[in-house]
Amino acid sequence: MADFSFPYFYNYPPYFTLQPVRDTREKQVELWKQLILKYCKHHKYFVVDLEEGDFPLFANANIDRKLTYEAREVFLGALVSEGKAEWMDKGHRRCLILWRRIQDWAELLLSFVRENGMEDSVMTLEEIMSGDETRGSELAGIDRGVLIRGIKILEQKGKAAMFKGQATDDDGVKFSAH
Amino acid sequence: MRRRPGISGLQTAAAARDQYRSLGENVAKIRTDLMKEQLATFRNQLEEFARKHKNDIKKSPAFRAQFHSMCAKCGVDPLASNKGFWAELLGIGDFYYELGVQIVDICLATRPHNGGLLDLEELRGLLAKRRRASREPITEDDCLRAVSKLKSLGGGFEVFTVGHRKLVRSVPTELNRDHNLILELAQVHGYVTVQEVEKELTWKAGRALDALENLMREGLAMVDDGHPDGKRRYWFPCVGSAATGTEAVESVLSSPN
Repeated sequence: MADFSFPYFYNYPPYFTLQPVRDTREKQVELWKQLILKYCKHHKYFVVDLEEGDFPLFANANIDRKLTYEAREVFLGALVSEGKAEWMDKGHRRCLILWRRIQDWAELLLSFVRENGMEDSVMTLEEIMSGDETRGSELAGIDRGVLIRGIKILEQKGKAAMFKGQATDDDGVKFSAH
Repeated sequence: MRRRPGISGLQTAAAARDQYRSLGENVAKIRTDLMKEQLATFRNQLEEFARKHKNDIKKSPAFRAQFHSMCAKCGVDPLASNKGFWAELLGIGDFYYELGVQIVDICLATRPHNGGLLDLEELRGLLAKRRRASREPITEDDCLRAVSKLKSLGGGFEVFTVGHRKLVRSVPTELNRDHNLILELAQVHGYVTVQEVEKELTWKAGRALDALENLMREGLAMVDDGHPDGKRRYWFPCVGSAATGTEAVESVLSSPN
């Protein structure tokens, strides 16, 4: 995977402080929103923990600055307002980043199934998330929750059916994706 | 002429003065006529020169600057109007007009980042990148001329000096002396603290904070509360180091609006 290149503002200290002036703040929020999405997409991160030290993007050792909890909440909140993220708890301590929409994940899964002639086959969720079949594809590393929601969309279209296995590891999906 | 006492002596002196005066006036008139003639000849030669070297003027900044200087000496302003002999012959009006439009463009695009103050060198760098297609290099002189034309259109365009740099202002807000002094101080590290300003400029408490808060409200400064020492720093994107500045501005220009 290519190295992630950080935009200029990431190394400019004031951007790590929530700006009080409205216009400056708007610009700042916009920059951070885009950075968070890009960063998560690059590393295939889905869940961001707002607690101190957990998400590497929020601290830049090069300039010795890190975002306060308030700042993190503001930036992620802005993504949530835009539908590009979801709070996973009422306390706003964990956030699901939808750098790809659920419906687009569903499409991706469907395409994968068709391209690999798996229209009538069965796969476990584990296999999709981290198995040999999907290695190197966009699906590899997908978040389990996101995958399930994507499959549900396909279910509604009659293209797939989820089933429960003996153990969680065996939970899977049968495709009928013709 | 021997001075002779008495009334006739006075009359002679007066008559002499008169003669000298009219001679003086004649000489002055002759000199003026001669000068007018020389100027007219010079103008013609300048036009001839411009015609012959049209391409050089367009392509070489040094040549262009010299040409402007020659024009100024004989009272010709090639940019005075977009119509007329000079503009038509050289298309120079177009050149500066185009440059002016590009400058406005860049200033507007970078305003969210720097609050409407852009370092002249940075502007030049960005213009050079924009104009890569045409091979006419842009000098500081060209920028200054284009900005002065913009100034006459209103909208607050102005070039002013802070410390050792020139800044292009594209917003109507003028900086007062307090602000200028702070900007100059900020050039050293890219930021200042309240204490630093009070110490270096020997201001009473409150004055520094007021000025800094003002600059922040105008969008020229950003606050930084993240330093381990706990002191609030006011950063000035418009006087940051050239490297990060250009990178920042380029990034602003290339991001979708």
